[in-house]
Amino acid sequence: MSPTPDPGLRRSDGALDSRLSGNHGTLAGQPSSYTPAPGRRFNVGDRVRVKRSFPPGHRRTPSYVRGKAGEIERVCGAFPNPEELAYGFDGEPKKVLYRVRFAQKDVWPSYGGPEQDIIEMEIYEHWLEPA
Amino acid sequence: MSEKHPHRLPSDIGGEAGGAVDTVDHGMKFWERQANALRSVLSRKKIVRTDELRRAAEELGERYAQLAYFEITTSALRTLMLEKGYMTEQELDAKMKEVRARFDVPDEMESPVKKQAIAK
Repeated sequence: MSPTPDPGLRRSDGALDSRLSGNHGTLAGQPSSYTPAPGRRFNVGDRVRVKRSFPPGHRRTPSYVRGKAGEIERVCGAFPNPEELAYGFDGEPKKVLYRVRFAQKDVWPSYGGPEQDIIEMEIYEHWLEPA
Repeated sequence: MSEKHPHRLPSDIGGEAGGAVDTVDHGMKFWERQANALRSVLSRKKIVRTDELRRAAEELGERYAQLAYFEITTSALRTLMLEKGYMTEQELDAKMKEVRARFDVPDEMESPVKKQAIAK
């Protein structure tokens, strides 16, 4: 019997994201690196905007995507904050990491490729706001 | 084109025009193998973390673009070992002087052990 799917794995239209239900990508019997993120702010399908902020230091969000809006494609899990680990601290509290899907035309103002082209990247929750 | 800002890191170049890509496999020089092995051991022992190495590499600023890959990672490793107090700059300088004298290696470094083996 399959475990009850985490409600966060449902898309906003109610459909279960097939990539995230049941067996999420185990390799040769190794447990998945997916870790639950119960206290998260966003779910699959939510519209989000990356903060348009330019603080100093080791930042894990590329400049070109700051200020751009996209959609949560998956919840990757909660991980020690790399922006703290970078300075020798323990990275606690953990931050929820999402894969966010953007339309290429939204990221690059003069994008000349097909309308449906997308770019996806992993972004930590503290860089995201509801859009 | 992405936004210019005062805290832009030298590694944050997505969307910028890049130069020609060097597709030649240059292999690894002797010192690059040694330095890379040291980095692997220190990472495995959790003495340094990947995130710290990246941060120390980014702090190279304009030098980042002028250095080769293993020069960047080794420079970052040096920064972290000094930061964490595993060695002092004086100790490192003295050791480097000693090793240079011992090996007397040319710029294009080749393993002295390998050289001896070929000569036999």
